[in-house]
Amino acid sequence: MPSLGLPIYGQAIGGLGERRWRTVAEHDGATLEGAGEFAEGAAEAPDGLTRRSFLQVLGASAALAGLEGCQPPREKLMPYVRPAAGVTPSVPGAYATAASDRGYAVGLVVTSWEGRPTKIEGNRDHPASLGATDAIRQALVLELYDPARLSGFRHDRRDLSWPAALGELAALARAHDKDRGARLRFLVEPTSSPTLQELRRRVLARFPRARLDAWRADGDDAAREGARLALGRPLDALLSLSEADVVLSLESDFLGRDGDPLRHAKQFAARREPGRLNRLYVAEAGFTVTGGAADHRFRMRSAEGLPFARAVAAELASAHGLAALAPLGARAEGDRRRIAAAVAADLARARGRSIVTAGSGQPAAVHALAAALNDALGNVGRTVAYVDSVLLDPSAAGSADAPPPGLAALARELAAGEVDTLVVTAWNPLHTAPAELGLRDAFAKAKERIVLAFRDDETVRAATFRVAAAHPLESWGDLRARDGTPSIVQPLVAPLVECATEVDLLAALVGEGERGAYRIVKDGWRARAGFGPAPAPATGGLASARPVDANKPAPADPFERRWEEWLSAGLVQHPRASPAPAAPLRVDVGGVARALAAVPAPGAGLEVRFVPDYKVGDGRHLENAWLQELPDPVTKLTWENAAHLSPATAKRLGVDSGDLVELARGGRTATAPALVVPGHADESVTLALGYGQRVQGAVGRGAGFDAYPLRTLDAAGFAAGLEVRPTRKRTDLAVTQGHFSMEGRAIALALDAGELGHAKEELDHHRGEQHTILAPVDYSKEEYRWGMGIDLSRCIGCAACTLACQAENNIPVVGKERVLKSREMHWLRVDRYFEGTPEDPQSVSQPLACVHCEAAPCEYVCPVNATVHSEEGLNEMVYNRCVGTRYCSNNCPYKVRRFNFFDYHGTLAPTVKMRMNPDVTVRARGVMEKCTYCTQRIERARVDARVAGRKIGPDEVVPACAQACPAEAIVFGNLNDPASKVSRLHRDARRYDLLHELGTRPRTAYLVKLRNPNPELA
Amino acid sequence: MSTAKQTLEEAHALEGAPVLVGRPDDRALTESLLEPVLGPTRKGWLLLVLVLGGGVAFWVVSLVATVFVGIGVWGNNIPVAWAFDITNFVWWIGIGHAGTLISAILLLFQQKWRTSINRFAEAMTLFAVAMAGIYPIIHLGRPWLFWWLIPYPSTTQLWPNFKSALPWDVFAISTYGTVSVLFWYLGLIPDLATLRDAAKDRTRRVVYGIMSFGWRGSARHWRHYRVGYLLLAGLSTPLVVSVHTIVSFDFAISQLPGWHTTIFPPYFVAGAIFSGFAMVMTLMIPARRFLGYHQVVTERHLDNMAKVMLATGLMVSYGYVMEHFMAWYSGSNYEAFAFLNRWVGDYRLIWFVQLFCNVVAPQIFWFPWARRNELVLFGVSILINIGMWAERFMIIAVSLTRDFIPSSWGNYAPTWADWGLLFGSISMFGMLFILFLRFLPAIPIFEVKELRRELEHHGPGVHHEGPGGRGVSP
Repeated sequence: MPSLGLPIYGQAIGGLGERRWRTVAEHDGATLEGAGEFAEGAAEAPDGLTRRSFLQVLGASAALAGLEGCQPPREKLMPYVRPAAGVTPSVPGAYATAASDRGYAVGLVVTSWEGRPTKIEGNRDHPASLGATDAIRQALVLELYDPARLSGFRHDRRDLSWPAALGELAALARAHDKDRGARLRFLVEPTSSPTLQELRRRVLARFPRARLDAWRADGDDAAREGARLALGRPLDALLSLSEADVVLSLESDFLGRDGDPLRHAKQFAARREPGRLNRLYVAEAGFTVTGGAADHRFRMRSAEGLPFARAVAAELASAHGLAALAPLGARAEGDRRRIAAAVAADLARARGRSIVTAGSGQPAAVHALAAALNDALGNVGRTVAYVDSVLLDPSAAGSADAPPPGLAALARELAAGEVDTLVVTAWNPLHTAPAELGLRDAFAKAKERIVLAFRDDETVRAATFRVAAAHPLESWGDLRARDGTPSIVQPLVAPLVECATEVDLLAALVGEGERGAYRIVKDGWRARAGFGPAPAPATGGLASARPVDANKPAPADPFERRWEEWLSAGLVQHPRASPAPAAPLRVDVGGVARALAAVPAPGAGLEVRFVPDYKVGDGRHLENAWLQELPDPVTKLTWENAAHLSPATAKRLGVDSGDLVELARGGRTATAPALVVPGHADESVTLALGYGQRVQGAVGRGAGFDAYPLRTLDAAGFAAGLEVRPTRKRTDLAVTQGHFSMEGRAIALALDAGELGHAKEELDHHRGEQHTILAPVDYSKEEYRWGMGIDLSRCIGCAACTLACQAENNIPVVGKERVLKSREMHWLRVDRYFEGTPEDPQSVSQPLACVHCEAAPCEYVCPVNATVHSEEGLNEMVYNRCVGTRYCSNNCPYKVRRFNFFDYHGTLAPTVKMRMNPDVTVRARGVMEKCTYCTQRIERARVDARVAGRKIGPDEVVPACAQACPAEAIVFGNLNDPASKVSRLHRDARRYDLLHELGTRPRTAYLVKLRNPNPELA
Repeated sequence: MSTAKQTLEEAHALEGAPVLVGRPDDRALTESLLEPVLGPTRKGWLLLVLVLGGGVAFWVVSLVATVFVGIGVWGNNIPVAWAFDITNFVWWIGIGHAGTLISAILLLFQQKWRTSINRFAEAMTLFAVAMAGIYPIIHLGRPWLFWWLIPYPSTTQLWPNFKSALPWDVFAISTYGTVSVLFWYLGLIPDLATLRDAAKDRTRRVVYGIMSFGWRGSARHWRHYRVGYLLLAGLSTPLVVSVHTIVSFDFAISQLPGWHTTIFPPYFVAGAIFSGFAMVMTLMIPARRFLGYHQVVTERHLDNMAKVMLATGLMVSYGYVMEHFMAWYSGSNYEAFAFLNRWVGDYRLIWFVQLFCNVVAPQIFWFPWARRNELVLFGVSILINIGMWAERFMIIAVSLTRDFIPSSWGNYAPTWADWGLLFGSISMFGMLFILFLRFLPAIPIFEVKELRRELEHHGPGVHHEGPGGRGVSP
């Protein structure tokens, strides 16, 4: 078999020195060149058995020994007789790829151990990641190994091999050639993938009378529709928060869910330091991550968002000379007016340096108004860019001028029996489709229902032809970021089960099923990059640019090198890859005014709001145990969703958290547990989507209630007319933090920016040396003194760190029953406290893991020396020595130790065991565990440094939590190096030690959260 | 000397009820006191064995689940990593204090009234310590490694961490257990010989014969016995104070609000004696009634024990007051909150039970009639047992539910296994006790005979003065 020669992330590629890095530190300066033990080429196999082929060997043989028989090899396998180049047992590799976040790319770097992907991290060069990842992307790796994922191809209760499936798909396609696809329909998800968009075009070219409908329950169609109303075209708004001094969010959760939250968080957090503070106003109904970070959070029902925005527009028009906004404004009365005036004044002061952004749950008119406000404030082109949406493919989504007929039309045609074959690649539309469409009943009227799905679900059960979908880490493909930057999706492992990608499936329908996704993607990019189809031998300058390496054949043609560069970097760097900047924009004020006028007045009754869940999204991650057990960033609820109510509304309705209530709207009902959330808008109920699915696996069983039946086409985001009836029944909600008040204790400190100057004396009570009769151990002479700094001002509380820690450190999931018993195992928790009144509080999030006290209370009480101090100051846990008295936990004032009450690992499926990080001990029953400061990463850095004969760099070691943090709130490093970032944090004027008065001398220091309130609103 | 004698006589004049009712001869005494051992099996005893056997089975099931499944079968969690397990442990250890106090300290103070109840109390101590000793082992996450807490010359060259109070516990409890066994068994030897001599069948003669180590009652034997017994009494005396002091260190050396308290050692010792006497009373009143020990366990005994309970109850109450005072006086918000939480927190009911049982209920013993009324005594001693368990639960578990950082606060609820280990150990304790009553003389026969002689020679309330005064041979 010819070597596919795919580049390993961080491995040498000719002329690509700047792209080669394995760790962030390497990326930032240290080079890999000459770091190896052996001379160039000496450690590599002569004829590269490269990553891909090695993975095939390993993936197919080791991973699923016993299943090999079922898997027809698509490419030839080779025995592992010589060490594979770039694969050193016990040394993990890292590969760049991308995963989809609502269709857009998030660049990833995935750690792989001898062919087993174990950990997902962000790609620093990718515009939507900037090195960070969110919880959902982190958790994807668990789904790869899910023992319950679908496998194989099944048509009319016959199991098929892939070639047989290809044959039957081709036959089906031929049957539709006669009427040119008039009775053929596709239900797909919006995608930014150029390959998929091209394939979809080709499918439609073959079947001109067929139609592709794009559907996704948590998409941001309203935003694009708003842009169309205001600017004439469906555009995506790109926010640049680095330059924004004032941000007004109209229910936009841009730090948590909307747009590119990872990039937003990084840019936003960088502006939360003294001297550069921006100001964030959030008007929202339900408490969100963004609301928690706000300087002013205006609690209002979703329907009041538009009047509020119009009041701001009116103030801008009348008081600040933005006459263009006059037709859009409408005065508010009373307190709202005072607020709108203050916000407008602030926005007007920051012309060209402000942002108005609307949430994806808000109607198009609000997005249009936001665009008009941005335009009038001079923000467009400076802090807000409107770009052509890479999600929109003209052929797939109708013309740019009119919204596509969409799901409603498809449901109508299905019900009328006008569809013979329906190909579904969208995630579980029977679950997510708006309630009134009756898709469940209509679906079965299509004779052939081809469903591509990763997990068993309702739609899969209704399929006649089931195709198991490949995991993103097993797939070839491509995706584009919101700004158009493409990335190649490359597999980390050969598929663990028989499965196919959407590319494979659509290719089969255009007669190219045999080519395979790899060829289709690669050849597509060869054409897009303008390279000729025929591989030409490399000559001249390109060949000589490579270091002389007699053992390794030079790549066959220039495109191969380009392709390797792209794969290695995780980005396609090609001038023609990014879309052209949008033409100069002009706001159609009249159109916006008409749209505003067309928004119906909110109806009577309670407002119901539908939001995608922070953890399961629209429901597709329901079976991900890590996400299920992850505490919701705001409510700290695990394993289910609930109906969020304000304290006042709950009181009026006579319900309390945990009471089951019946929700009714338009004749449809759902029963949900109530959850009282401080700061929620009164007379409004927020429901998270995606739970309570009809087909549930072992993880999602019994998780939450289904909110989709209440969601209709006209209520995608919110609507009035909800009835809530108490049922007198109760349930237990597994909330990991039951107490949201600090009880007046100095735990998570927050100050207004102006107070910082006077707070020194107060803060000095919480830091510095303390009188003690015991001389503290002097660590200043050690080479390394590890420490951490957490900037509460930067932290947005998104919980990505908790999940990253779970993935890195093999932390078990315990299940709802045990979370109810306070036995969750997360080493790193994000505490959320509310300050102020329960009706309208402000919030502070505080990540808290072991703070590695120098005078650790846990250590002296352990009878068997199982927790001891290292000379570098780590509070180490010796699992083998632990007998499990749990005294250490009792004596830990931070309560960050976790105990293995049961054997949590022994019962795991073999595939799930493959995900374990081999660098981290899997803990047995009966032992205590806790944050180690990622000691395995320290040791790996130590090995690298020692081999290279140097010191570990001041910021070289990056623990999993700090790596994942989109806000860069967590910093780790050597406190004995004054140049390290963490030393700077420890010297910061805002630094304080948690529970300093106990004299524990924690190594993790916190920085006070700063708020920047508007004095006019004081 | 005369002043001392006078003082003693005055004291005895105040003592009231006799320590021995009537003047039975040796033979009658022996027969009546051996009757429960040598007599036919009673139906009530069999019924009790059945009932307690059920409880023991529950206990065994809970133990097996704990060891084989993990302590996840309990309700413990983070933050409440210790709950019923350590509560039961401290409770039982506390109960175990009465025996040594009665046997050793009262012996050294030459309190005659201890004679007829000391073995009873010692047996109870032994069984209570046995029950207590189980918890520190099974509460471990990996109980099969409990021996890592013992300093032994290990090839890993690792010793226990002597800064931790838990290895101190190992020493304290194992020492206490060992000395208690020796003390109890040494005191049994003359009576085992009596039993051997009185037994009618061969099996018993052989078994009791072996157990009595060839005791013949010679003067040499008595001399050695006296010396040994006195030495052990001397050894045990500091243990009465040390064991519970060290157990209290488990909490006092920590920094948890509610645990971190210097008053704990005396407060725990007083509580231990308080609960130990209550348990002796709980067991003795039915035994006295159903086994006919009225002659030797008199109102005088009940009265004295009630006084001890009253006194130690007041000490415990003082401890409660001081804890609250210190919580306020220390100026520590965390301490203040921990104690406020007892009054208004989620577990306040248990706190009120504790206050009623330990502070209010014993006050009835100010009235002499109450100190002699079996029913009142039994009722109050049961209440004290409950109250002392509640006290330990409040200190150990409830302090843990609310510590420094509010986000980690969490409540605790016991599971079936927790209840199984509590009631099961009570059943096991009861089972051991009724077996003891059936197979060994619960009242030290020879000591009662000796007491009788003494009383005959010196009149009621009079006893030999001077050092080594108990050296009157029977």
